[in-house]
Amino acid sequence: MMKNKKLFWSFLIILFWQVISMSGTFSSLILPSPYMVIKAFLESIMRGELLNETMYSLIIILEGLFIGTFFAFLLALASIRYKIMEDFVETLIAIAHPLPGIALLPLIILWFGTGRTSVVFVIIHSALWPILLNTTTGFRTIPRIFTDVGHNLGVRGIHLISTIYIPASMPFIISGLRIGWARAWRALISAEMIFGAVGGKGGLGWYIFKQRVFMDTAGMFAALIIIVIIGMLVEDLLFERLEANTIEKWGMTVK
Amino acid sequence: MKKLSLILSIMITLLSIILSGCTIGNQQNLEVSKISVAEQFGLAYAPLQVMKELKLLEKNLPGVEVTWKQLGNTAAIREAMVAKEVDIGFMAIPPFLIGWDKGMDWRIFSGLSKSPVGLVVNNPHIKSIKDFTGKDRIAVPQPGSVQHILLSMACEREFGEPERLDNQLITLAHPDGMNALFSKNDITAHFTAPPYLTKELEVEGMHQILSGSEAMGKDFTFIVGVSTSNFHDKNTKAYKAFIKSLNEAMAYMKQNREATQILLSKAYEMSEEEIEKYMTLEGVSYDNSVAGVPEFAEFMKRNGYISKTPQSINEILWEDVNDEK
Amino acid sequence: MNDFLKAVSISKTYLNENKKLKVLEDISFSIGKGEILCILGASGCGKSTLLRVIGGFERIDKGEILICGNKVLKPSADMVMIFQDYNQLFPWMTVLENVLFPLKVNKIGASAMQRIEISIEYLKLVGLEDFKNYYPHQLSGGMKQRAAIARGLALKPSVLLMDEPFGSLDAITRSNLQNELLDIWRKTEVTIVFVTHDINEALALGDNIIVMDKTPGRIKERIKNFQERPRNRRSDEFLDLYEKIYSMLDVQI
Repeated sequence: MMKNKKLFWSFLIILFWQVISMSGTFSSLILPSPYMVIKAFLESIMRGELLNETMYSLIIILEGLFIGTFFAFLLALASIRYKIMEDFVETLIAIAHPLPGIALLPLIILWFGTGRTSVVFVIIHSALWPILLNTTTGFRTIPRIFTDVGHNLGVRGIHLISTIYIPASMPFIISGLRIGWARAWRALISAEMIFGAVGGKGGLGWYIFKQRVFMDTAGMFAALIIIVIIGMLVEDLLFERLEANTIEKWGMTVK
Repeated sequence: MKKLSLILSIMITLLSIILSGCTIGNQQNLEVSKISVAEQFGLAYAPLQVMKELKLLEKNLPGVEVTWKQLGNTAAIREAMVAKEVDIGFMAIPPFLIGWDKGMDWRIFSGLSKSPVGLVVNNPHIKSIKDFTGKDRIAVPQPGSVQHILLSMACEREFGEPERLDNQLITLAHPDGMNALFSKNDITAHFTAPPYLTKELEVEGMHQILSGSEAMGKDFTFIVGVSTSNFHDKNTKAYKAFIKSLNEAMAYMKQNREATQILLSKAYEMSEEEIEKYMTLEGVSYDNSVAGVPEFAEFMKRNGYISKTPQSINEILWEDVNDEK
Repeated sequence: MNDFLKAVSISKTYLNENKKLKVLEDISFSIGKGEILCILGASGCGKSTLLRVIGGFERIDKGEILICGNKVLKPSADMVMIFQDYNQLFPWMTVLENVLFPLKVNKIGASAMQRIEISIEYLKLVGLEDFKNYYPHQLSGGMKQRAAIARGLALKPSVLLMDEPFGSLDAITRSNLQNELLDIWRKTEVTIVFVTHDINEALALGDNIIVMDKTPGRIKERIKNFQERPRNRRSDEFLDLYEKIYSMLDVQI
């Protein structure tokens, strides 16, 4: 039902768009018609360019998310294990979490230059803190009964974390991953728009920037379509499935 | 059904608001005494500073309301002109041609400046573009920028393949490019223009391996003035007054060197010595002639940056341009 | 034999906003193997705290808990606690996985197959065999408590600690579960310490009943319950004992 509604509204928006562009009020350099956009989209796909840039962006974001999630878990574990680390991690989050990745860009360029490393760093920064914040909150608010039962049943140490802390904090962890992904995805596109190669690959953000420079407005829209599609796929397929297979199945969704 | 008709009526209302709102916007542009001009930062735009400081446009067109916009890059100027927010813009020839190719209704009305541009490297072993290895990164301000096109031209000449170095280009604004060149971490070479070009060449270990005229095979106009057809056709008085003022500014610069230097040193917040050094630099000149358009157009068409070349030069130049052959 | 589980002068104080609050004072008792001890008292008398102390969940200021003469210092799988909270089952595991989990952790059973057999055997014991693939949130409150009992018993603990496990259930379900518990107890011969505020429940289950006093928690009276099982809740003996305990609990009229 939800999907049908989205389809219906998307159709209406595209219709609306087509009518406006057909009215001739805006030059096609400002608002290309849906037809032109779809044509540019298909052409770019056929050339392989758009798909290549998309793959480049996806690989880089997966790399950043992977590293970011890894460190988030490491810090979250340290903070439940040692009181001193808990204070340290809390301070770290308070400092770093409100900083948008893009605001750090000039500094990151100074430290790591303008290459791929810098983009990965921006993604790690964007993903790490929300995931860490949510995971530690999850760990801290875990119902006491689960840890009591765990102790009672003889679960100790790292086992306690993997078999009880993590699944019990799943609603928090998933929402942290969601926020981390969304932030990282935005930061990635923005960072790519700022630096990238001219002929070589620079990702979707770079593709948009390049189309801008060459005044290919329809091509910019084509890249936006890809961004929307990826956003929807990740949201609807990945996260909704993840939730359906975990916290919804377990009856742990917050009502 | 009720819902659907509600949605449709909302959309129709929105549609009519959008459509009517834009006609109002167009009408505002018809006012004769308003001019909006967009330029970028740099000494290549010096005549415009003179024009501003001496209020030449105000003299030639009493009652004019002129807005000067300094935008960060050519793409922004172009977009502002598409959106009818800017009547006159200044930029290099390649970005102009890209806009023309994409259907922008605009033409060049004057040259503004010639300037040396150069490819500076921080590695003493690199003597020409042939010496670049696959690891070397070259910074240019933008893809499709005059620097990028010139490098492609040089590559075509040297290797027979203009896109040879494209995969090694990275985009950096001039100041970032300069810092990156000095730090030697990221890039080996930087294709740039004064004042960055001169600053870079003053540093030990940096040297130029390619100049703009070497790449192109002749001199060309670095920055040109572009006007939309809308402004040219409907605001003829203002259009003429602007050209007259620009020419007066250039003449003033030739006749009053010292006064110009003082004026520019204030406008750019640079010392008079620095200004003088730049103004007397070989290859720097300010005049209204336009050179290099056919060469750029032909090259860019041949390599797919644009899809067509002008049938006649008059398709892209307004009638009163000093077309230097 | 009467010293299977022994509490020796237990005292505990809570520190609450810099004020010391004595919750348990000088509590001693002992029970034999396979007995059911009911700890009865009004809310806030410290009976749950006492149970947590017995299980090794809480530190104490004075005294000690001994099981077969060994001091209890921390929770262990040998004394399994069944909590009042229905949510003691792990929601991310099915009923079967919940029962299997402690077997795996404690390496009980020679193989995975054998562990599954053990788990199913205990689910049968509590009548949940058909629900083994359900997740806890799909079960009713009574079923959740039965699953928790199966999980605890599968470990073959020597003591089952029960903290008002049927406290939030309706009266009918509660009576049924009490009878089922007695059934299970007979089959497994497990020692049970059962905390309740319900006099009927204590009388139906307990061989011994400790009646607690409030603030600080102390043992007011220890009553032997010699009624034959199955106990008739309408018998004179039952009702007399009820009256006796009721009068002890300071009910204000």
